[in-house]
Amino acid sequence: MKLRVLLILGVALIFSSGLSAQIQADDPVSLVESITGQIFTDVTENLEEYTANPEALEDLVRNDLMPLLDINYSARLILGRAGRGLAQEKIDEFATCMTNLLVNRYSKGLLDFSSEIKLQVLPQRGDLNPKLTRVRTRVTLPNGGEAPVDYAFHKTPEGWKAFDVVIEGISYITTYRNQIMPEVQANGIDSVIERLNTGQMQLAE
Amino acid sequence: MHNIRSIISLIMLALLLAGCAGTQSRNTDPENDPWEGYNRKVYAFNEGMDKVVRPIAVGYDKIMPDPLQRGVGNFFRNLDAPVTYVNLVLQGKFRESADTLGRFLINSTVGLLGFIDVASRLGIPFYNEDLGQTMATWGYDDSRYLMLPFFGPSTFRDGTGRLADSFYHPVGRVFHGSNRWGLWIFRGIDTRARYLDQDTELQSAYDPYVLMRDVWMQNRLYQIYDGDPPMLDYDIYLEDDYDPAEPATSDKQ
Repeated sequence: MKLRVLLILGVALIFSSGLSAQIQADDPVSLVESITGQIFTDVTENLEEYTANPEALEDLVRNDLMPLLDINYSARLILGRAGRGLAQEKIDEFATCMTNLLVNRYSKGLLDFSSEIKLQVLPQRGDLNPKLTRVRTRVTLPNGGEAPVDYAFHKTPEGWKAFDVVIEGISYITTYRNQIMPEVQANGIDSVIERLNTGQMQLAE
Repeated sequence: MHNIRSIISLIMLALLLAGCAGTQSRNTDPENDPWEGYNRKVYAFNEGMDKVVRPIAVGYDKIMPDPLQRGVGNFFRNLDAPVTYVNLVLQGKFRESADTLGRFLINSTVGLLGFIDVASRLGIPFYNEDLGQTMATWGYDDSRYLMLPFFGPSTFRDGTGRLADSFYHPVGRVFHGSNRWGLWIFRGIDTRARYLDQDTELQSAYDPYVLMRDVWMQNRLYQIYDGDPPMLDYDIYLEDDYDPAEPATSDKQ
Protein backbone atom coordinates (compact mmCIF):
# COMPACT_ATOMS: atom_id res chain seq x y z
CA MET A 1 0.00 0.00 0.00
CA LYS A 2 2.82 2.32 0.81
CA LEU A 3 4.12 2.53 -2.72
CA ARG A 4 0.67 3.10 -4.05
CA VAL A 5 0.01 5.94 -1.65
CA LEU A 6 3.26 7.53 -2.64
CA LEU A 7 2.63 7.27 -6.33
CA ILE A 8 -0.77 8.79 -5.85
CA LEU A 9 0.88 11.65 -4.08
CA GLY A 10 3.28 11.79 -6.90
CA VAL A 11 0.66 13.19 -9.09
CA ALA A 12 -1.33 14.85 -6.37
CA LEU A 13 1.64 17.06 -5.88
CA ILE A 14 1.82 18.23 -9.39
CA PHE A 15 -1.87 18.49 -9.97
CA SER A 16 -3.35 21.92 -9.60
CA SER A 17 -6.69 23.62 -10.01
CA GLY A 18 -5.91 25.83 -12.92
CA LEU A 19 -3.12 27.19 -10.84
CA SER A 20 -0.44 26.34 -13.34
CA ALA A 21 -1.55 29.15 -15.61
CA GLN A 22 -1.10 31.73 -12.88
CA ILE A 23 2.25 30.55 -11.66
CA GLN A 24 5.09 31.89 -13.70
CA ALA A 25 7.53 29.81 -11.69
CA ASP A 26 10.90 29.56 -13.26
CA ASP A 27 12.07 26.81 -11.00
CA PRO A 28 10.33 23.49 -10.40
CA VAL A 29 10.65 23.67 -6.62
CA SER A 30 8.46 26.78 -6.41
CA LEU A 31 6.14 25.22 -8.93
CA VAL A 32 5.66 22.14 -6.77
CA GLU A 33 5.49 24.18 -3.57
CA SER A 34 2.83 26.58 -4.78
CA ILE A 35 0.68 23.80 -6.08
CA THR A 36 0.86 21.44 -3.12
CA GLY A 37 -1.38 23.40 -0.78
CA GLN A 38 -3.91 24.07 -3.48
CA ILE A 39 -4.43 20.41 -4.33
CA PHE A 40 -4.98 19.22 -0.83
CA THR A 41 -7.24 22.10 0.04
CA ASP A 42 -9.36 21.54 -3.03
CA VAL A 43 -9.80 17.82 -2.54
CA THR A 44 -10.31 18.06 1.22
CA GLU A 45 -12.87 20.87 0.93
CA ASN A 46 -14.84 19.20 -1.83
CA LEU A 47 -14.33 15.65 -0.69
CA GLU A 48 -18.05 14.85 -0.49
CA GLU A 49 -18.78 16.25 -3.91
CA TYR A 50 -15.90 14.34 -5.47
CA THR A 51 -16.84 11.14 -3.67
CA ALA A 52 -20.36 11.39 -5.07
CA ASN A 53 -19.09 12.30 -8.49
CA PRO A 54 -15.68 10.76 -9.19
CA GLU A 55 -15.87 11.81 -12.84
CA ALA A 56 -15.64 15.44 -11.78
CA LEU A 57 -12.39 14.69 -10.04
CA GLU A 58 -11.12 12.74 -13.02
CA ASP A 59 -11.88 15.70 -15.29
CA LEU A 60 -10.12 18.01 -12.92
CA VAL A 61 -7.09 15.77 -12.83
CA ARG A 62 -7.11 15.39 -16.58
CA ASN A 63 -7.37 19.11 -17.29
CA ASP A 64 -5.04 20.44 -14.65
CA LEU A 65 -2.51 17.73 -14.07
CA MET A 66 -1.72 16.65 -17.57
CA PRO A 67 -0.33 19.99 -18.82
CA LEU A 68 2.30 19.75 -16.11
CA LEU A 69 3.45 16.29 -17.08
CA ASP A 70 5.38 15.37 -20.17
CA ILE A 71 3.67 12.05 -20.78
CA ASN A 72 4.94 11.86 -24.33
CA TYR A 73 8.50 12.09 -23.16
CA SER A 74 7.82 9.47 -20.48
CA ALA A 75 6.33 7.20 -23.12
CA ARG A 76 9.37 7.58 -25.34
CA LEU A 77 11.72 6.82 -22.45
CA ILE A 78 9.71 3.75 -21.52
CA LEU A 79 9.50 2.42 -25.05
CA GLY A 80 13.17 3.05 -25.79
CA ARG A 81 14.44 1.08 -28.75
CA ALA A 82 11.14 -0.77 -28.88
CA GLY A 83 9.57 2.52 -30.00
CA ARG A 84 11.90 2.76 -32.95
CA GLY A 85 10.06 2.28 -36.22
CA LEU A 86 6.66 2.59 -34.57
CA ALA A 87 4.19 4.97 -36.17
CA GLN A 88 3.76 8.20 -34.22
CA GLU A 89 0.06 7.39 -33.75
CA LYS A 90 1.00 4.18 -31.94
CA ILE A 91 3.29 6.03 -29.57
CA ASP A 92 0.53 8.61 -28.98
CA GLU A 93 -1.95 5.80 -28.36
CA PHE A 94 0.40 4.26 -25.83
CA ALA A 95 0.86 7.64 -24.12
CA THR A 96 -2.91 8.24 -24.01
CA CYS A 97 -3.42 4.84 -22.51
CA MET A 98 -0.86 5.61 -19.80
CA THR A 99 -2.57 8.94 -19.17
CA ASN A 100 -5.96 7.30 -18.72
CA LEU A 101 -4.57 4.82 -16.25
CA LEU A 102 -2.80 7.52 -14.27
CA VAL A 103 -5.86 9.78 -14.15
CA ASN A 104 -8.03 6.91 -12.98
CA ARG A 105 -5.61 5.63 -10.39
CA TYR A 106 -4.73 9.03 -8.96
CA SER A 107 -8.28 10.27 -8.73
CA LYS A 108 -9.21 7.20 -6.72
CA GLY A 109 -6.14 7.59 -4.57
CA LEU A 110 -6.81 11.24 -3.90
CA LEU A 111 -10.25 10.43 -2.57
CA ASP A 112 -8.84 7.77 -0.28
CA PHE A 113 -5.71 9.36 1.09
CA SER A 114 -5.55 13.11 0.60
CA SER A 115 -6.73 13.93 4.10
CA GLU A 116 -4.30 11.58 5.84
CA ILE A 117 -1.01 12.57 4.35
CA LYS A 118 1.41 15.41 4.95
CA LEU A 119 3.88 16.59 2.44
CA GLN A 120 7.06 18.62 2.58
CA VAL A 121 8.98 20.01 -0.38
CA LEU A 122 12.73 20.20 0.17
CA PRO A 123 14.67 23.21 -1.14
CA GLN A 124 16.76 23.03 -4.27
CA ARG A 125 20.36 22.14 -3.57
CA GLY A 126 23.10 23.93 -5.41
CA ASP A 127 22.50 25.79 -8.63
CA LEU A 128 19.51 24.91 -10.71
CA ASN A 129 20.46 22.90 -13.77
CA PRO A 130 18.89 24.78 -16.70
CA LYS A 131 17.60 21.63 -18.40
CA LEU A 132 17.11 18.77 -15.97
CA THR A 133 16.48 18.76 -12.25
CA ARG A 134 15.01 16.81 -9.41
CA VAL A 135 12.52 18.08 -6.85
CA ARG A 136 12.80 16.23 -3.59
CA THR A 137 9.86 15.82 -1.23
CA ARG A 138 9.19 13.99 2.00
CA VAL A 139 5.82 12.40 2.59
CA THR A 140 4.53 11.65 6.07
CA LEU A 141 2.26 8.63 6.00
CA PRO A 142 -0.71 8.00 8.27
CA ASN A 143 1.36 5.60 10.43
CA GLY A 144 3.97 8.28 11.08
CA GLY A 145 6.54 6.84 8.70
CA GLU A 146 8.34 9.14 6.30
CA ALA A 147 9.06 8.37 2.69
CA PRO A 148 11.03 10.21 0.05
CA VAL A 149 9.38 10.96 -3.27
CA ASP A 150 11.39 12.74 -5.96
CA TYR A 151 10.26 14.15 -9.29
CA ALA A 152 12.40 14.46 -12.36
CA PHE A 153 11.66 17.69 -14.25
CA HIS A 154 12.98 18.83 -17.56
CA LYS A 155 12.70 22.13 -19.37
CA THR A 156 10.49 22.08 -22.42
CA PRO A 157 9.51 24.94 -24.74
CA GLU A 158 6.34 25.20 -22.58
CA GLY A 159 8.29 25.37 -19.34
CA TRP A 160 9.25 22.84 -16.72
CA LYS A 161 7.47 19.52 -16.90
CA ALA A 162 7.71 16.40 -14.78
CA PHE A 163 8.34 13.07 -16.46
CA ASP A 164 9.45 10.65 -13.74
CA VAL A 165 8.56 9.82 -10.15
CA VAL A 166 11.24 8.25 -7.99
CA ILE A 167 10.15 6.64 -4.73
CA GLU A 168 12.81 5.44 -2.33
CA GLY A 169 15.21 5.38 -5.24
CA ILE A 170 12.87 3.37 -7.47
CA SER A 171 12.27 5.13 -10.76
CA TYR A 172 8.91 4.66 -12.37
CA ILE A 173 10.45 5.10 -15.82
CA THR A 174 13.29 2.62 -15.36
CA THR A 175 11.06 0.00 -13.80
CA TYR A 176 8.32 0.13 -16.41
CA ARG A 177 10.78 0.49 -19.23
CA ASN A 178 12.34 -2.84 -18.35
CA GLN A 179 8.91 -4.48 -18.35
CA ILE A 180 7.29 -2.82 -21.34
CA MET A 181 10.22 -2.67 -23.75
CA PRO A 182 10.75 -6.45 -23.93
CA GLU A 183 7.00 -7.04 -24.01
CA VAL A 184 6.61 -4.71 -26.99
CA GLN A 185 9.53 -6.39 -28.72
CA ALA A 186 8.05 -9.83 -28.12
CA ASN A 187 4.29 -9.27 -28.59
CA GLY A 188 3.98 -5.93 -30.35
CA ILE A 189 2.68 -2.57 -29.17
CA ASP A 190 -1.00 -3.41 -29.78
CA SER A 191 -0.90 -6.31 -27.38
CA VAL A 192 0.67 -4.12 -24.69
CA ILE A 193 -1.87 -1.34 -25.20
CA GLU A 194 -4.62 -3.94 -24.98
CA ARG A 195 -3.23 -5.29 -21.73
CA LEU A 196 -2.99 -1.77 -20.28
CA ASN A 197 -6.51 -0.87 -21.38
CA THR A 198 -8.14 -3.97 -19.97
CA GLY A 199 -6.42 -3.50 -16.64
CA GLN A 200 -4.44 -6.71 -16.88
CA MET A 201 -1.31 -4.74 -16.22
CA GLN A 202 -1.18 -2.66 -13.07
CA LEU A 203 0.66 0.51 -13.83
CA ALA A 204 1.27 1.85 -10.37
CA GLU A 205 2.48 0.00 -7.32
CA MET B 1 18.71 -27.74 15.52
CA HIS B 2 21.93 -28.67 13.82
CA ASN B 3 19.83 -30.64 11.37
CA ILE B 4 17.96 -27.64 10.05
CA ARG B 5 21.21 -25.90 9.31
CA SER B 6 22.55 -28.91 7.41
CA ILE B 7 19.36 -29.15 5.42
CA ILE B 8 19.48 -25.49 4.47
CA SER B 9 23.13 -25.77 3.45
CA LEU B 10 22.30 -28.79 1.32
CA ILE B 11 19.43 -27.00 -0.41
CA MET B 12 21.66 -24.00 -1.12
CA LEU B 13 24.37 -26.23 -2.51
CA ALA B 14 21.92 -28.16 -4.66
CA LEU B 15 20.49 -24.93 -6.04
CA LEU B 16 23.94 -23.61 -6.78
CA LEU B 17 24.88 -26.76 -8.67
CA ALA B 18 21.59 -26.80 -10.52
CA GLY B 19 22.21 -23.22 -11.56
CA CYS B 20 25.71 -23.89 -12.81
CA ALA B 21 24.68 -26.99 -14.71
CA GLY B 22 21.83 -25.31 -16.57
CA THR B 23 22.44 -23.55 -19.85
CA GLN B 24 21.19 -20.00 -19.89
CA SER B 25 18.36 -19.56 -22.30
CA ARG B 26 18.30 -15.78 -22.13
CA ASN B 27 19.95 -12.97 -20.33
CA THR B 28 18.09 -9.73 -19.78
CA ASP B 29 20.96 -7.85 -18.13
CA PRO B 30 24.36 -9.54 -18.54
CA GLU B 31 26.12 -6.54 -17.04
CA ASN B 32 24.40 -6.61 -13.64
CA ASP B 33 23.00 -10.12 -13.62
CA PRO B 34 25.45 -12.51 -15.31
CA TRP B 35 24.13 -15.37 -13.16
CA GLU B 36 20.57 -14.93 -14.37
CA GLY B 37 20.14 -18.62 -15.19
CA TYR B 38 20.96 -19.63 -11.63
CA ASN B 39 19.06 -16.68 -10.16
CA ARG B 40 15.88 -17.56 -12.00
CA LYS B 41 16.03 -21.09 -10.63
CA VAL B 42 16.37 -19.82 -7.08
CA TYR B 43 13.58 -17.35 -7.77
CA ALA B 44 11.37 -20.26 -8.84
CA PHE B 45 12.38 -22.15 -5.71
CA ASN B 46 11.46 -19.15 -3.54
CA GLU B 47 8.15 -18.82 -5.35
CA GLY B 48 7.44 -22.46 -4.60
CA MET B 49 8.19 -21.86 -0.94
CA ASP B 50 5.95 -18.84 -1.00
CA LYS B 51 2.98 -21.13 -1.65
CA VAL B 52 3.46 -22.22 1.97
CA VAL B 53 4.74 -18.98 3.46
CA ARG B 54 2.20 -16.62 1.91
CA PRO B 55 -0.91 -18.19 3.47
CA ILE B 56 0.79 -18.04 6.86
CA ALA B 57 1.66 -14.39 6.29
CA VAL B 58 -1.92 -13.65 5.21
CA GLY B 59 -3.27 -15.28 8.36
CA TYR B 60 -0.74 -13.44 10.51
CA ASP B 61 -1.69 -10.15 8.86
CA LYS B 62 -5.38 -10.78 9.56
CA ILE B 63 -4.95 -11.81 13.18
CA MET B 64 -2.47 -9.13 14.19
CA PRO B 65 -3.93 -5.73 15.02
CA ASP B 66 -2.01 -3.01 13.18
CA PRO B 67 -0.47 -1.37 16.28
CA LEU B 68 0.83 -4.74 17.44
CA GLN B 69 2.29 -5.48 14.04
CA ARG B 70 3.98 -2.10 14.08
CA GLY B 71 5.41 -3.02 17.48
CA VAL B 72 6.80 -6.26 16.08
CA GLY B 73 8.36 -4.32 13.22
CA ASN B 74 9.94 -1.91 15.74
CA PHE B 75 11.22 -4.84 17.80
CA PHE B 76 13.07 -6.42 14.88
CA ARG B 77 14.31 -3.09 13.60
CA ASN B 78 15.75 -2.37 17.03
CA LEU B 79 17.59 -5.69 17.01
CA ASP B 80 19.37 -4.58 13.82
CA ALA B 81 20.76 -1.49 15.59
CA PRO B 82 24.04 -3.13 16.70
CA VAL B 83 24.77 -4.15 13.10
CA THR B 84 24.01 -0.61 11.92
CA TYR B 85 26.19 0.77 14.72
CA VAL B 86 29.22 -1.33 13.78
CA ASN B 87 28.87 -0.46 10.11
CA LEU B 88 28.44 3.26 10.77
CA VAL B 89 31.72 3.15 12.69
CA LEU B 90 33.37 1.23 9.84
CA GLN B 91 32.19 3.97 7.46
CA GLY B 92 33.53 6.68 9.74
CA LYS B 93 30.08 8.12 10.46
CA PHE B 94 30.65 8.69 14.15
CA ARG B 95 27.83 11.13 14.90
CA GLU B 96 25.36 8.76 13.26
CA SER B 97 26.80 5.80 15.15
CA ALA B 98 26.34 7.65 18.45
CA ASP B 99 22.71 8.32 17.50
CA THR B 100 22.23 4.64 16.72
CA LEU B 101 23.73 3.55 20.02
CA GLY B 102 21.46 6.00 21.81
CA ARG B 103 18.44 4.67 19.92
CA PHE B 104 19.31 1.12 20.84
CA LEU B 105 19.74 1.90 24.53
CA ILE B 106 16.55 3.95 24.80
CA ASN B 107 14.34 1.64 22.77
CA SER B 108 15.63 -1.54 24.42
CA THR B 109 14.79 -0.16 27.88
CA VAL B 110 12.17 2.58 27.91
CA GLY B 111 10.80 1.25 24.62
CA LEU B 112 10.09 -2.15 26.18
CA LEU B 113 12.64 -4.28 24.29
CA GLY B 114 12.19 -2.19 21.20
CA PHE B 115 8.44 -2.62 20.71
CA ILE B 116 7.89 1.11 21.09
CA ASP B 117 10.10 3.39 19.05
CA VAL B 118 10.60 5.99 21.77
CA ALA B 119 13.79 7.27 20.14
CA SER B 120 11.98 8.43 17.00
CA ARG B 121 9.51 10.36 19.11
CA LEU B 122 12.47 12.03 20.76
CA GLY B 123 13.70 13.01 17.32
CA ILE B 124 16.72 10.72 17.16
CA PRO B 125 17.24 9.90 13.49
CA PHE B 126 17.17 6.33 12.23
CA TYR B 127 19.94 4.90 10.08
CA ASN B 128 20.17 1.63 8.28
CA GLU B 129 23.58 0.18 7.48
CA ASP B 130 25.06 -3.24 6.91
CA LEU B 131 28.34 -4.71 5.74
CA GLY B 132 27.22 -4.75 2.11
CA GLN B 133 26.73 -0.98 2.23
CA THR B 134 30.03 -0.55 4.05
CA MET B 135 31.88 -2.50 1.36
CA ALA B 136 30.14 -0.36 -1.26
CA THR B 137 31.34 2.86 0.38
CA TRP B 138 34.83 1.36 0.56
CA GLY B 139 34.86 1.07 -3.22
CA TYR B 140 33.19 -2.28 -3.95
CA ASP B 141 30.33 -0.26 -5.35
CA ASP B 142 29.10 -2.55 -8.09
CA SER B 143 28.27 -6.15 -7.51
CA ARG B 144 26.46 -8.79 -9.50
CA TYR B 145 22.89 -9.65 -8.64
CA LEU B 146 22.42 -12.81 -6.60
CA MET B 147 19.09 -14.36 -5.69
CA LEU B 148 19.37 -16.06 -2.32
CA PRO B 149 17.19 -19.00 -1.33
CA PHE B 150 14.79 -17.96 1.48
CA PHE B 151 16.14 -14.39 1.72
CA GLY B 152 15.39 -13.23 -1.81
CA PRO B 153 17.15 -10.52 -3.84
CA SER B 154 20.75 -9.63 -3.04
CA THR B 155 24.13 -9.22 -4.69
CA PHE B 156 27.28 -11.26 -4.24
CA ARG B 157 28.67 -8.45 -2.09
CA ASP B 158 25.53 -8.04 -0.01
CA GLY B 159 25.02 -11.78 0.47
CA THR B 160 28.56 -12.08 1.80
CA GLY B 161 28.03 -9.03 4.01
CA ARG B 162 24.81 -10.47 5.31
CA LEU B 163 26.54 -13.69 6.33
CA ALA B 164 29.28 -11.76 8.15
CA ASP B 165 26.77 -9.48 9.89
CA SER B 166 24.77 -12.48 11.08
CA PHE B 167 27.70 -13.64 13.24
CA TYR B 168 27.24 -10.76 15.63
CA HIS B 169 23.54 -10.01 15.16
CA PRO B 170 21.75 -9.96 18.55
CA VAL B 171 19.35 -12.72 17.52
CA GLY B 172 22.33 -15.02 17.00
CA ARG B 173 24.23 -13.79 20.08
CA VAL B 174 21.49 -13.70 22.66
CA PHE B 175 19.13 -16.47 21.61
CA HIS B 176 19.96 -20.09 21.11
CA GLY B 177 18.49 -23.26 19.69
CA SER B 178 14.83 -23.22 18.81
CA ASN B 179 14.32 -19.71 20.19
CA ARG B 180 16.77 -18.41 17.63
CA TRP B 181 15.16 -20.29 14.75
CA GLY B 182 11.75 -19.31 15.98
CA LEU B 183 12.71 -15.62 15.95
CA TRP B 184 14.19 -15.78 12.45
CA ILE B 185 11.11 -17.56 11.13
CA PHE B 186 8.81 -15.12 12.92
CA ARG B 187 10.71 -12.26 11.37
CA GLY B 188 10.46 -13.91 7.97
CA ILE B 189 6.69 -14.15 8.27
CA ASP B 190 6.40 -10.59 9.54
CA THR B 191 8.52 -9.34 6.65
CA ARG B 192 6.52 -11.35 4.13
CA ALA B 193 3.29 -9.86 5.50
CA ARG B 194 4.61 -6.38 4.76
CA TYR B 195 4.90 -7.17 1.07
CA LEU B 196 1.44 -8.71 0.62
CA ASP B 197 0.10 -5.51 -0.95
CA GLN B 198 2.57 -5.74 -3.76
CA ASP B 199 1.79 -9.30 -4.84
CA THR B 200 -0.79 -8.37 -7.46
CA GLU B 201 1.50 -5.90 -9.15
CA LEU B 202 4.36 -8.37 -9.14
CA GLN B 203 2.28 -11.17 -10.59
CA SER B 204 0.67 -9.00 -13.26
CA ALA B 205 4.07 -7.90 -14.51
CA TYR B 206 5.35 -9.10 -17.86
CA ASP B 207 8.45 -10.47 -16.16
CA PRO B 208 8.10 -10.61 -12.36
CA TYR B 209 11.70 -11.73 -11.94
CA VAL B 210 12.96 -8.61 -13.71
CA LEU B 211 10.54 -6.37 -11.81
CA MET B 212 11.78 -7.69 -8.48
CA ARG B 213 15.39 -7.27 -9.58
CA ASP B 214 14.85 -3.70 -10.80
CA VAL B 215 13.02 -2.59 -7.71
CA TRP B 216 15.53 -4.19 -5.39
CA MET B 217 18.65 -2.97 -7.21
CA GLN B 218 17.41 0.61 -7.42
CA ASN B 219 16.38 0.68 -3.79
CA ARG B 220 19.72 -0.83 -2.77
CA LEU B 221 21.61 1.92 -4.60
CA TYR B 222 19.44 4.41 -2.78
CA GLN B 223 20.42 2.86 0.58
CA ILE B 224 24.11 2.82 -0.31
CA TYR B 225 23.97 6.53 -1.11
CA ASP B 226 22.03 7.17 2.11
CA GLY B 227 18.99 8.34 0.20
CA ASP B 228 20.80 10.59 -2.25
CA PRO B 229 21.91 8.64 -5.33
CA PRO B 230 23.05 10.50 -8.45
CA MET B 231 20.32 11.40 -10.90
CA LEU B 232 19.61 8.86 -13.62
CA ASP B 233 21.01 9.42 -17.07
CA TYR B 234 17.71 9.51 -18.92
CA ASP B 235 19.26 10.54 -22.22
CA ILE B 236 20.76 7.11 -22.64
CA TYR B 237 17.23 5.67 -22.72
CA LEU B 238 16.56 7.55 -25.94
CA GLU B 239 19.70 6.47 -27.73
CA ASP B 240 18.86 4.16 -30.54
CA ASP B 241 21.65 1.71 -29.96
CA TYR B 242 21.27 1.49 -26.20
CA ASP B 243 20.54 -2.02 -25.09
CA PRO B 244 21.29 -3.17 -21.54
CA ALA B 245 21.46 -6.76 -22.79
CA GLU B 246 24.31 -6.05 -25.14
CA PRO B 247 27.65 -6.51 -23.37
CA ALA B 248 28.50 -10.18 -23.48
CA THR B 249 30.48 -10.45 -20.29
CA SER B 250 30.42 -8.79 -16.91
CA ASP B 251 33.44 -7.49 -15.06
CA LYS B 252 31.45 -7.25 -11.84
CA GLN B 253 32.41 -9.42 -8.92
